[in-house]
Formats: sequence, C-alpha cells, structure tokens
Amino acid sequence: MVHALNEIRRVLIPDGILIDIRPLMDRWQVEVTSMREIRQTGRVQDFPVGLADDEAANRAIVQASENGWFSRDRQEFFSYSYSWDTPAEMEEWIDTEWEDFVALEEETKQATRSAWALGDADARVRLQVKMLIARWNVLKDR
Amino acid sequence: MTIQNDPERNESKHLHTLADFRNKRVLEVGCGEGRLTWQYAKEAQLTVGIDTDTDALRVAEVDRASDLEHKVLFTAAASEYLPFSKETFDIAVLAWSL
Repeated sequence: MVHALNEIRRVLIPDGILIDIRPLMDRWQVEVTSMREIRQTGRVQDFPVGLADDEAANRAIVQASENGWFSRDRQEFFSYSYSWDTPAEMEEWIDTEWEDFVALEEETKQATRSAWALGDADARVRLQVKMLIARWNVLKDR
Repeated sequence: MTIQNDPERNESKHLHTLADFRNKRVLEVGCGEGRLTWQYAKEAQLTVGIDTDTDALRVAEVDRASDLEHKVLFTAAASEYLPFSKETFDIAVLAWSL
C-alpha cells in the first residue's frame, strides 16, 4: 500500500491532490425504512479481517504522510446506504458479497424480519455504511 | 434482487465538495465497473481508470457512454506499478481501494 501511494505521488503533478474514499468497518446500522418511519433493528457484526484492512490502510496513509509525500487537507465522514426490498435479499447479499467482512447475528435478522413484516407496505431494509473521504495534497519539489 | 445504492447521492456530493474535476486529468485507482467514475467523468478533461479485475473493466467499457469514449479510458494495472509517466495527472482517486 505504501509503495502504491508513492507511485500515485509520482504520477501526480506538484499541485495535485489525492482523494481517498472508502468504507470503514463500524458495525453498520441495519434499519427498516418507509416513507413514514425509520426503525433501527440492529448492527452488523464486523469480522477481524475487515478491521485489519482498515488498520492497514490507515497505517499506509500515515506512513506516506510521515514520509513527506502527502499532507492531509480535509477529511469528512458520511453515510452510504444500501437498501433492499426484503430482509431475505439483504441477508443473501451479505452472505454472498460481504461474507469475509461482516455478518448478521440471528437477533438482528429476527428483529429486521419482524419490523419489515409488521411495517408499512413500502417498507424496505437499509444498511448504513460509514464512509471516509479525505483530500491529501501532494508534496514534492517543483 | 432489487438493490439501491446511495439513493441520497451522498458519495457524489462529498466527492464534489472535496475535488473540482473540471478540466482535470484524473487517475482512478480501483475503478472496478466504473460506478464512481460516472459521477465525475463528464466534467474531467481525461479520466483513466485502473483495476486488476479485467471482468469489471469490461463492464465499465460496455457501460461507457458514447460521448465519453475519448475522455474515459480503462486499463488493467496494479497501483504498485502505474504505467504512466511522472506528473501525468492532476487528481488521483483511491476508489474504495486503499
């Protein structure tokens, strides 16, 4: 990762910027939503590999900063939501696409299924992913 | 399966808050199928998306609008060995890839 950041620095102009945008493991919130209400039904379970990936990425960008390659200019956090028609669709997605990183505990599955079944006709299931976006200024001699 | 991603467009809003892509040469690292690329590519002068997933790159090329053919390019490459000369780009975007 650190080598990649040095490569990116090489191909950027002296006034160039690097945008780092990525999800952060943070026990993402599970919700059942409709036009009328939002019901929080639990959080996903983070697996160690995802947490380790976040730590490795953070270490790499800190190392690049300490090496004098980039200077952080601005950082923000925001939510990126995924939503599905049914709890079953969300469960299938997590089991097939994110099985290495997160899981749903049985209690959260049951709470989500119940809230959805008892919810409004337009009820959907939503996952709120925590996102980081940071702008780094490249540092190099002109 | 019906899935909606970021219907509030928070990602695009924050991206444009932190970067002005107008007339810039942009390198997107980890572009995948181009989901993020399409949120700014029309404004940029040139966008090059790289990824090691060639299947995803094929999807990105198929999805590329005809008016972007000459200003959005995709190529298979790893971020550790970028096949570009020094100081080629104004902006680099690490797209969910650090």
